[in-house]
Amino acid sequence: MENKKMTMALFSGSIDKLTGAGVVLSGAAADDMDVDIYVLLMGARAFVKDNEDKIDGLSEYPHLKDEFFKSLETLKVPTWIEFFEMAKDLTNVKIHICSLAGKMWGGEKMEDFIDLADDICGIGEYIESAQEADVHLFI
Amino acid sequence: MMSTDELIALVADKVVDARGTACPGPLLEAKKAIGTIASGEIMEVLSADEGTKKDIPKWANKKGHEYLGTIEESGYFKIYLKKG
Repeated sequence: MENKKMTMALFSGSIDKLTGAGVVLSGAAADDMDVDIYVLLMGARAFVKDNEDKIDGLSEYPHLKDEFFKSLETLKVPTWIEFFEMAKDLTNVKIHICSLAGKMWGGEKMEDFIDLADDICGIGEYIESAQEADVHLFI
Repeated sequence: MMSTDELIALVADKVVDARGTACPGPLLEAKKAIGTIASGEIMEVLSADEGTKKDIPKWANKKGHEYLGTIEESGYFKIYLKKG
């Protein structure tokens, strides 16, 4: 049986949404889905090298940041990068950086991005992938 | 599905203690561990995560493994699977 496909548009670059994306991605990995992630505007900031420590803002309830981080620690929730790495180990996950999004945050070439990134692409590829996917998410 | 007595009598070939993690930890642990045992062998997953209790049986059946049952312990539960 052919694996089901998931396409995720990862527009967000805040730690809460990246963590949520990581949890969803883990579920897809456990289910052996083929996953294409298209990293769009704000998301690309998280994939530019040396930005790890700069990714610390919340999109939702920004005033509850301390509580959010404390809960992650108590529940031993992996970091968003760990979730993405685990998913890559378990299933076929490809991470595509939108070329415009990369440029917005100073990333033009593959060497400007962290190892998780697989390639740089245009928006047409994302739309095509979304058309073919069994599950399509915009986070 | 097995009765509780049958489950208690089972000797698992692999025990995965995922009590330290919340969802999706136990599911990921189960997914990784099932790859390390042979078809027909028994895996026992320990979890304290309520979401996992429904997730792992569904996942197992979907992936062609047999869900044998769950034993409730104090503060956690044991899920038994037979690899397909």
